[in-house]
Amino acid sequence: MGSVASAAVPPPPPQSALPQAGAPPYGPGLAGILPQMSKGEEKKDEKVDYLNLPCPVPFEEIQREALMSLKPELFEGLRFDFTKGLNQKFSLSHSIFMGSLEVPAQASETIKVPTAHYEFGANFLDPKLMLIGRVMTDGRLNARVKCDLTDNLTLKVNAQLTQEAHYSQGMFNFDYKGSDYRAQFQIGNNAFYGANYIQSVTPNLSMGTEMFWLGHQRKSGIGFASRYNTDKMVGTLQVASTGIVALSYVQKISEKVSLASDFMYNHMSRDVTASFGYDYLLRQCRLRGKIDSNGVVAAYLEERLNMGVNFLLSAEIDHCKKNYKFGFGMTVGE
Amino acid sequence: MGSVASAAAPPSPHSALPQEGAPPYGPGLAGILPQTSVGEEKKEEKVDYLNLLCPVPFEEIQREALMSLKPELFEGLRFDFTKGLNQKFSLSHSVFMGSLEVPAQGSETIKVPTAHYEFGANFLDPKLMLIGRVMTDGRLNARVKCDLTDNLMLKVNAQLTQEAHYSQGMFNFDYKGSDYRAQFQIGNNAFYGANYIQSVTPNLSMGTEMFWLGHQRKSGIGFACRYNTDKMVGTLQVASTGIVALSYVQKISEKVSLASDFMYNHMSRDVTSSFGYDYLLRQCRLRGKIDSNGVVAAYLEERLNMGVNFLLSAEIDHCKKNYKFGFGMTVGE
Repeated sequence: MGSVASAAVPPPPPQSALPQAGAPPYGPGLAGILPQMSKGEEKKDEKVDYLNLPCPVPFEEIQREALMSLKPELFEGLRFDFTKGLNQKFSLSHSIFMGSLEVPAQASETIKVPTAHYEFGANFLDPKLMLIGRVMTDGRLNARVKCDLTDNLTLKVNAQLTQEAHYSQGMFNFDYKGSDYRAQFQIGNNAFYGANYIQSVTPNLSMGTEMFWLGHQRKSGIGFASRYNTDKMVGTLQVASTGIVALSYVQKISEKVSLASDFMYNHMSRDVTASFGYDYLLRQCRLRGKIDSNGVVAAYLEERLNMGVNFLLSAEIDHCKKNYKFGFGMTVGE
Repeated sequence: MGSVASAAAPPSPHSALPQEGAPPYGPGLAGILPQTSVGEEKKEEKVDYLNLLCPVPFEEIQREALMSLKPELFEGLRFDFTKGLNQKFSLSHSVFMGSLEVPAQGSETIKVPTAHYEFGANFLDPKLMLIGRVMTDGRLNARVKCDLTDNLMLKVNAQLTQEAHYSQGMFNFDYKGSDYRAQFQIGNNAFYGANYIQSVTPNLSMGTEMFWLGHQRKSGIGFACRYNTDKMVGTLQVASTGIVALSYVQKISEKVSLASDFMYNHMSRDVTSSFGYDYLLRQCRLRGKIDSNGVVAAYLEERLNMGVNFLLSAEIDHCKKNYKFGFGMTVGE
């Protein structure tokens, strides 16, 4: 969240299962026969095999559980998404959005104008190659490529092309996946270079570092990240030389309920924000909500009406700015 | 729709048409007859012109068309909660949060977010009805309906605001005869109005209205006509203000109704035509319309539980490029 690479590269959809490259030293049935005891005692009993640690999550996905709960895709107005699969790998998508767009106003009040746009997409999904394209009615184009060069090396490309001069941007990302570490190297436009490295230290703890250089702006930075996760909780810490300090904590209460919290502090601008959210999974729907220290209350509801048909409700209330956003939509064929 | 009285008094739809006199034929008589045309049917039955039905009130002459073509569209969030304290007395709370359209100098539409809360108190009795609504910006709405005698009814509407000279009130005396209705209205700014509607045949009723605006030194006269059977309703209204309004509602089945509406203003040369539908399903009701100004609208009410309704509202104005979408909930209605 604090690094430029995290902002430039949107995090890919979270994987449902954590990748487990190495097998744990104890068998699957071992934990069941032990009585419930504290973590300290548990640590003494088991001998950690430091040469066979699991592979950590990618650096830019270190906060993915918190983002899932605290940053749903809120919108205002109407949203309609339709995805048609042509065959096993190729599919087309159509998206319509109609609603209000916030325009910057000179006074402190909020002003909106109605807007509408249509987006056409084409997707190609293969185990080794993924191509995603999106073109909008105002001429903007989004493209994403993910290609496995070798078993361990992955190339990711992100590009946004616009009709306005000097507003297009692109990013190449080489991702190397080791047995218990990950390394990335990024090249972007405006002479952007970035690199990050994350290493598993214990079976539950991983640490990483990143650095970036913006050539045109003659600016560089360094960052540090740490992540501790068990089956029931995830805690992360990120610090960067840009003055960003970010903390997040997600606790799984049960199979269906998760609570998430987030703390963000910017030392340069003296800005601080804390958020608290929940993620409630019911039989036919999923409800996510949050409240933060800026007075923003939000809720997002996804209900499955039929096989492949989802109904969406989105609500966001900003009490400080007196801004209210409400919308509903439908997703077909997702 | 064209008269001032119709605009001042909001029409309250009745679920059943009042049946004052019994028809001359028995209920089973129509069943044994074979299907005949209206002309032949008219020859067979003798119309008792001294025992006609009572017509609908003058301001409600278009109520079926309004029900389909003018749903309560909104943008943003709407939440209504009604709590009944006893059989007659209830309280209501309404929250609205959304965008409000502000007049802009250009041709584009500009909105600002707004929110308000409304508190209401209701007293409902067969002979007396009191409804009050107060909003957070100080506006107050009051409605009174009182049966003075069996045939004479008094209705009062009032809107009070904090701004000077913006409050208004209206008294309405409604006399209900056996086959006619007469109303007399007194409002602020020296407004006086009267209307009279008479049943001519069992299916046809005609009426006239006149009004006088004292402060503006303006008067007008209007004529209205309504023809309705079990399956269709057709209305015509003409007024000296230049308004010509036509409406037609056809009931396709027990669950589907189609409605159309035509409005012409001779003074401003403005003409609008609308077409809508009213679809009643098992758990929800869907209404929609499209009109000649490029406005497409839909309104969905779904009953989630006993007394809990979920609302979806959508309106798209293609000419003005204006889009309004909202959802809401009604509890305890």
